Amino acid sequence: MYLLAGALGALALATAATGAASETGVTSSQVLIGGTTPLSGNASAFQSVAKGAAAYFRWVNAHGGVNKRKIKYVYKDDGYDPSKTADKTRELVQQEKVFAIFNSLGTEQNLATRAYLNAIKVPQLFVASGATTFGKDYKQYPYTIGYQPNYRAEGTIYGRYLAKTSPKARIGVLYQNDDYGKDLLAGLRNGLGKKAKLIKSKQSYDVTDSDVRSQIARLKAAKVNTLMVFATPLFAIQSYVYAHKLAWRPKVFVNAVSSAANVMGIASAGAGKKQTEGSISIVFLKDPTDPKWNKDPGTKLYRSIMKKYKGGNPNDVYAVYGMSVAHTFVAALKKAGKNPTRASIMRAATRLNVKNDPFLLPGMTVRTTKTDHFPLDQAKLQRYHKGRWVSFGGLFRVR
Amino acid sequence: MGRRALGIALWVAMVAAILVVYAFAPRLVSDFHSRDLAEAGIFFIAIVGLNLLTGYTGQISLGHGALMAVGGYTTAALMVHEHWRDVWTIPLAGLTAGVVGFLIGLPALRLSGLYLAMATFAFAVAMPSLLKKFSGLTGGGQGLRMLEDAPFQITGLSGTVTIFGHSMTQNHFLYYLAWGIGLVGFLISWLLVRSRVGRTFRAVRDSEVAATSAGINLAWAKTFAFAISGVYAGVAGGLLATQNQIVNPLTFTFLLSIVLLVGTVVGGLGSLPGMVVGAFFVEYLPDVSTHVSTAPGVPDFVYGAAIIVVMILLPTGVGGLLKRVARPLTTRLYLRP
Repeated sequence: MYLLAGALGALALATAATGAASETGVTSSQVLIGGTTPLSGNASAFQSVAKGAAAYFRWVNAHGGVNKRKIKYVYKDDGYDPSKTADKTRELVQQEKVFAIFNSLGTEQNLATRAYLNAIKVPQLFVASGATTFGKDYKQYPYTIGYQPNYRAEGTIYGRYLAKTSPKARIGVLYQNDDYGKDLLAGLRNGLGKKAKLIKSKQSYDVTDSDVRSQIARLKAAKVNTLMVFATPLFAIQSYVYAHKLAWRPKVFVNAVSSAANVMGIASAGAGKKQTEGSISIVFLKDPTDPKWNKDPGTKLYRSIMKKYKGGNPNDVYAVYGMSVAHTFVAALKKAGKNPTRASIMRAATRLNVKNDPFLLPGMTVRTTKTDHFPLDQAKLQRYHKGRWVSFGGLFRVR
Repeated sequence: MGRRALGIALWVAMVAAILVVYAFAPRLVSDFHSRDLAEAGIFFIAIVGLNLLTGYTGQISLGHGALMAVGGYTTAALMVHEHWRDVWTIPLAGLTAGVVGFLIGLPALRLSGLYLAMATFAFAVAMPSLLKKFSGLTGGGQGLRMLEDAPFQITGLSGTVTIFGHSMTQNHFLYYLAWGIGLVGFLISWLLVRSRVGRTFRAVRDSEVAATSAGINLAWAKTFAFAISGVYAGVAGGLLATQNQIVNPLTFTFLLSIVLLVGTVVGGLGSLPGMVVGAFFVEYLPDVSTHVSTAPGVPDFVYGAAIIVVMILLPTGVGGLLKRVARPLTTRLYLRP
């Protein structure tokens, strides 16, 4: 790793040598950041993460920016293909000369660029993926940090909840056959602890598969009554639809990535309202379709920004995520000092203590320390009832 | 004598122009954009190969993305597991894909048209799952990341490459490598098409019955066409892996096979010069689609619509257009197109 860093260090020196006084991507009036997001292909629903953040930055710029600098956020399409992610990230670094890579989406996609960015010391900030490795492996990759509660912790919450409330459940798991799905599964096992043998069937699928019909059939055949859906939106919707077709109505736990209101709406339309009723997930953002937040000032701010700065569909919780991560970036940028450098923003990102994020649930703190590189580690459980997510219980710490 | 000499002079001038463009194109664009040009070159290689199979031999293949996968993963596996230098893996990437191409050509002996397309398509659809299955070799769903696991096998890791005392950036090196191989591949293809083998291919395309009665061994011709187009696809895949320094099943879905066929058809089946345009078309269309609008679903729509529009306006592809434009020249100068 050090030899690699040395070899690429020559490249870093070459690119840095052009700007004597200020850091790459930072001028007296602007900070330029960039990231990748799927604007095309079958993961394109996730682009709201970028668009929500972009709308928030426009609002911040209209109110003076940070230390008199406006934030310019550029996002490029990688079609969810890790080799395109590698290509576009290189373009952002070498061609557009961004200050930092911010809010790139996808687990495999960010893993594809992590070694490169760390070797040339370009911050890989607030990766839009809950894979545990982004927070756990900071010693090897100090220029990378995640944001959302990690998948393993999410699985642990479900496991602990099930162990306590349904000690006789027959659990079946549908999971994506990559780091994301396996992380959730590992967390579930971890949370169940001694009750891990309640897992009666595990069925995996590949992102390149066309559907999960056979996996659902096998889970039903294993007489599962509690279905864990550790799948991305397209396949989560399918699991509801195919279970409905097989006249099977297990209790469903759907992972946060696929719990967005529009995803659940499509699932309810395709499988019937009874199929999705009672589904459980975790939440750490103020879901704009939850009537509880209608009069909340944070949600009102969110809606006004979405409207004024054309952030897209305001009922899309991924956009709320985008605003929250953008809010945290602004906090880190402020903390990075009057003349931010790549090193100073990385230091700021690992010394966060933000309590006033208007888009996160009340009581949540965005906190990182030298040894804790998981900015968000709290969440609540929520239940899908009559077409809306309603949170219940207290705020868990998901470590 | 005069006209013929003029014709030959024109050919020489054209070749010289091509070489000049090849040598100096990177100066005209930014350093990073040489990478995009290199990727266009990679598509060019795969499309030239596919053209030999589909345009000249009339065999439809919707599986060439999978052959690129074979080449790309051969390169990645040799770099990561056997510590080969990236550039030296490319011949073997081509060879492996050629062998696999030969094998998927075997169904061609019994199938034709739509049925052959489906058989090759099945191979393309299965490829990502196959890649994940042999995860010890291929890295499974994560793929292989050469920057992490084989950094010293990457040419130009420090940013500069020096060949015979001449220094250039890594991006320029990738461009010269891709298009250098592309021009050589083009030349081989050009010579092949003009040779007896080329005539055999065209005979198979035009009428299998007539070809058999003329003494052509159909089995040999078809499988050879598959094999050689496989070699081109494998080399392209190996270059892609070298350039991106990563291989992942998501790069090699059946969509890649369709993209290659689109490039071949837009370029013009049976036309070699059109292939350059075809390659640039499939290289730059995704970016253009995203520039039109980033609203959800719109880039994909624009991509599809663009292909449809091009096919309506130019049913014989760019190559067909070039032939029509060049016909007066070729008839007057006693040249073949």
